Amino acid sequence: MLQKLNTPARLALLLLLPVLFFVGTLCIGRYHVAFREVWGTLSSALTGHETGIPLRTQTVILSVRLPRALQGLLVGASLAASGACFQSLFRNPLVSSGMLGVSAGSGFGAALAIILFGTTAMAPTFSFAFGILAVILSYLTGKISGGNPTVTLVLGGTIIQSIFSALLSLLKYLADTETQLPAITFWLMGSLASTKTSNLWLSDVPMIIGLLGMLVISWRLNVLAMGDREARTMGLNVTANKVAVIGFATLATAGAVSISGVIGWVGLVVPHICRMLFGSDNRKLIPASISLGACFMVLVDTLCRSLTAGEIPLGIVTAIVGGPFFIWLLKRTKGGSWQ
Amino acid sequence: MSLLELKQGSFSYGEQTVFEDVSFSVEPGELFCIVGPNGCGKSTLLDCVLGLNKLKAGELLVDGKPMKEYRPKELAQRIAYVPQDHKLTFGFSVLDIVSMGRTYEARMFDPPGEAQKAAAMHSLELVGMESFADRDYTKLSGGELQLVLIARALCQNARVLVMDEPTAHLDFRHELTVMDIIAKLVREEGISIVMATHFLNQAYYMEGAGVPTRVALMDAGNFGAVGKPSEVLTEENLKNVFRIVTEVASDAAGERKYILPLRNL
Repeated sequence: MLQKLNTPARLALLLLLPVLFFVGTLCIGRYHVAFREVWGTLSSALTGHETGIPLRTQTVILSVRLPRALQGLLVGASLAASGACFQSLFRNPLVSSGMLGVSAGSGFGAALAIILFGTTAMAPTFSFAFGILAVILSYLTGKISGGNPTVTLVLGGTIIQSIFSALLSLLKYLADTETQLPAITFWLMGSLASTKTSNLWLSDVPMIIGLLGMLVISWRLNVLAMGDREARTMGLNVTANKVAVIGFATLATAGAVSISGVIGWVGLVVPHICRMLFGSDNRKLIPASISLGACFMVLVDTLCRSLTAGEIPLGIVTAIVGGPFFIWLLKRTKGGSWQ
Repeated sequence: MSLLELKQGSFSYGEQTVFEDVSFSVEPGELFCIVGPNGCGKSTLLDCVLGLNKLKAGELLVDGKPMKEYRPKELAQRIAYVPQDHKLTFGFSVLDIVSMGRTYEARMFDPPGEAQKAAAMHSLELVGMESFADRDYTKLSGGELQLVLIARALCQNARVLVMDEPTAHLDFRHELTVMDIIAKLVREEGISIVMATHFLNQAYYMEGAGVPTRVALMDAGNFGAVGKPSEVLTEENLKNVFRIVTEVASDAAGERKYILPLRNL
């Protein structure tokens, strides 16, 4: 649809949209804040001028909504871009960012931390570590059998995913039903509510490294999508580039999941929307996924925290919004953007 | 110096030997056809030539240097590949697909750009597909796709082109188009083509068209005979290797030979 857009126009669109959503989410919420106040608070925070805006309003904007909005942008961008990368790498449109077990591993890690320490304080650390571990195990499993590396990698991912899911079930079974089980369950549903406890080194830095890496490597994904044999005969070091793609995508996803919990659908639906709008060329698809993924997550998070007095878990809303949308997308495109 | 030289090459999957002690060389500006029954090891041999399989014994020289000393990027500038079965995935444009042939020129922070596109357009012109540049390549017919894949290989600007069954799924018209292109590439561009094929008459077609052509008749992992089509593709050899009864005849004008398969032995 927007494939023919020239590069500067596309770039402007992709940069402008997240800014709009970012400012939008700062204005919306159960504590009423006017756009003028948001603007005033942001500029005074940058310039140091006194504005006369009530301190309470400033606190809501700067300490509550701003960090959450920034995390939302990063998490959405990371999940969507990783999903787009994996779809291209595995040449499979049904693959999402959790393909190699990062989500299953993270879920297990978080549950383990909750059971070991009784609080969610260590959940991000454990979640990040086990997310990475799961992907490494998937990769090693995929390498054992030899054969077609892409197929065995998918197989490895599926095996490791189910092992970690089973271990997670075991932990849930063992968990204290009054305190630990609810904590695990809520963590798994995903939320950006706990971003105050987020860890810069465990979440933001991996996400930013992962995103930049995926941007840089995006054109190589086009060649990898031709299949290992052809990519290799066209001069690409297939193994090194695959490891790099998996590494960047995993860093970004593990970083995202470690603060937001497991959020499905973003890594599947957003890349598809982008594919419809911008085509399958990864040089356009990855930046588009980053931009629209960021917007989508901020939108969903805004809905989650403002629709009701309590918080609705993110995973619920992404699935409820994403599922029907995906059905509509299938009908609309008849699977036309892939074969 | 030969562009490509295999010395006593052998390959096996575990205990199962695919080919053994095979030697050949490919000279500049010639067509080297590898023919033989299904399962004789043609495709595996091509994979070795492409560097996708590693030889178990023997040596493969590319421009006089051992294959294993080349990095993928360097090899791609010397040997290009036209696959038999290309799995269609995402809807790239024809121009995007063809410019991927210049992957070796791009650097980490310098993705393929205008220079690669220009090279791609030139390759599309060579196969007569320049008007398809902006089309979605997943929507092409089998014949058009094959021409695009040939253009992509040409875009690599390599002196050796490896083609695996280049006309496997094509109708007569597209088969002839591909044959014309191959003949033109060898005669006019001086490119060498290594081609595995089941259509033995294609070797006679090339011989008739004045293309320097050699045929290697492969049987159970060995080269039975290597030489000009009319020396190798004889009724006697075909009987021994394919176990079929054939008649080798000439067209009315006497310009071109052809094989008429009659029955199995």
